[in-house]
Amino acid sequence: MFKRILIANRGEIALRVMRTAHEMGIETVAVYSDFDARALHARLATFAVPLGGTLPRDSYLSIERLLAAAKRSGAEAIHPGYGFLSENEAFAQAVVDGGLAWIGPPPAAILAMGDKIESRRAMKAASVPVVPGLIDPVADPAAALAAARTIGYPVALKASAGGGGKGIRVVRDPSGMEGAFRTASGEAQAAFGDGRLYLERYLERPRHVEIQVLLDARGNGVHLGERDCSVQRRHQKIVEESPSPVVDAELRERMGAIALQAARAVGYVNAGTVEFLYTAASGSPEVFFLEMNTRLQVEHPITEVLTGIDLVREQIRIAAGEALSFGQADVTWRGHAIEVRINAEDPTNGFLPATGTIHNLRLPGGPWVRIDSGLYRGMEVGLSYDPLLAKLIVWGPDRPAAIARMRRALKELNIGGVRTSAPAALAVLEDARFQQGDFDTHLLETIDFKVRVGDQVQAAAVAAALHRWHEARRRALAGAGGDRNAWLERGRAEALRPASTKGGR
Amino acid sequence: MKYFVTVNGEEHEVELTERLGQLDVFYDGKRLEARYEEVDRLGQVGLFLGERTYAVSIEGDSNRSLVTVAGHLYDVEIEDEREYAAHQAERERGKRGGALKSVMPGVVIRLLVSEGEVVEKGQALLILEAMKMQNEIAAPSAGKVTKIHVSERQAVASGALLLTMA
Repeated sequence: MFKRILIANRGEIALRVMRTAHEMGIETVAVYSDFDARALHARLATFAVPLGGTLPRDSYLSIERLLAAAKRSGAEAIHPGYGFLSENEAFAQAVVDGGLAWIGPPPAAILAMGDKIESRRAMKAASVPVVPGLIDPVADPAAALAAARTIGYPVALKASAGGGGKGIRVVRDPSGMEGAFRTASGEAQAAFGDGRLYLERYLERPRHVEIQVLLDARGNGVHLGERDCSVQRRHQKIVEESPSPVVDAELRERMGAIALQAARAVGYVNAGTVEFLYTAASGSPEVFFLEMNTRLQVEHPITEVLTGIDLVREQIRIAAGEALSFGQADVTWRGHAIEVRINAEDPTNGFLPATGTIHNLRLPGGPWVRIDSGLYRGMEVGLSYDPLLAKLIVWGPDRPAAIARMRRALKELNIGGVRTSAPAALAVLEDARFQQGDFDTHLLETIDFKVRVGDQVQAAAVAAALHRWHEARRRALAGAGGDRNAWLERGRAEALRPASTKGGR
Repeated sequence: MKYFVTVNGEEHEVELTERLGQLDVFYDGKRLEARYEEVDRLGQVGLFLGERTYAVSIEGDSNRSLVTVAGHLYDVEIEDEREYAAHQAERERGKRGGALKSVMPGVVIRLLVSEGEVVEKGQALLILEAMKMQNEIAAPSAGKVTKIHVSERQAVASGALLLTMA
């Protein structure tokens, strides 16, 4: 087993990986950008190596700097987390070439699944069901229009190099093609340096159901059941759960077998997730291969909570060449698990990114509540990194109990200083359709988070008025002190400024 | 002291009167048994209305605060009588047109309209990129674009003036 591993990531996922490593007696090496010098992941690791830079490309996306940090720290393996370079086969290859172990799938498997077009081709060849549509990318709106005529509307435009919801647009009729093509292609170009798009049939009332798989290097493979990620907005997930309200034991076995078949078709080893689109529009359930995520998923904790299997532990063991310690028959699912993503975004303002400094933090607790978080008081939330701040995961003996527990936990949670998606998640959990399990991936579009008013208006109004009254009284008691301090501060700053910058302004 | 408090668009009156060192609270004219305990100076507050307790948190300044009660966020605007009177005139002038400001920091990727163009409500005006996502900024109401204050590839701060509509 490894003595020391480097975690090429930040935030909650760096902490997540670290925690298991430490429990296994493995030392961890954190890396951090200048922006993250005070971050929790840098403080809680065994060692921390600065990468310099503030932008991702100079830090967490710099293969050169990460490899140098690994060499310098004596790490034997690298865990990439999710995002950043986790699905970059060049990085995986460079790690392997540098004599280190890569805690993830073989570079060839990342490559095969990384290009959505190539992966669809491979899956078709391996008899895995895929969504009807084009295999080859189209160059311009005119070609897209021609292709859409044969596939039939609505169609989805997707970036061939895409992921994370970027570069995806739905076109319902020919008039919308031009604009959608332009923005999707521009977004794909900006995000991935590749503006190519492909088209496929857009399924109505679909659900997003994915299967977790684990394969070792000795040919053993198991699936760990599904996660339902249908509560999403612009293909960004907000609430995830397992088991899925629409998947029964028979369908789970069928999807598990397809997922393992897909993974084996590309020589997959380590943890991975096969995403499916589920639809029952024709009366009987149909599932189509969507893509394979060749990394640990954000929402992996719900599988852990349900199965009792630590996925990061299995990832590290597999990367160290060990065999899976259990077989498919040993995998059991108990109760129900839900995860809510706490993103820095404003649900009352179209989920646009939010920034600020966390100055007030109250995290929930109690039985069967798990928090994977990189949050700390004083943390600055900027625009350079992923908006995911924390994940709240609960378990319950059944779905209603898990929903009640998550609502309870969300009511305890309090993050001040930056707007978060938490109130939106609470609104989802209070929605009758969610509670009945009767929803599809469009659920979020149908909830108006702007007009939504909780039932504690009186408390909010009284609290705000009392807050203002107390603030005013405090200012009155402090007299002119505040102003004088500001005047003193300005004087000091002026006196301390370098002579060369003085006066000119 | 009387405050006009707007919670998520709903207007209420909260009156606070100090009497013999004690604070009386009236909510829409109804007297409440209220106790307000500041937990820290960071916004955690214990609010007790009668025997009901509320673990509240508040952030913001004296005119606008964000209040979290039991997981829900309430966007609260507060005006005292003087501010209320001053703003009343403004309110009556109506809400049509005006300045369109950026609600987030980002980069203007593309301008989709030009000055003088008449647009419909909901029509895409420009594309703003933030956090690697391209967001179409739509017209809040129908009208005419009278002035564009930004150019393509320009970085804008949150609250920056993007364009003016009439």
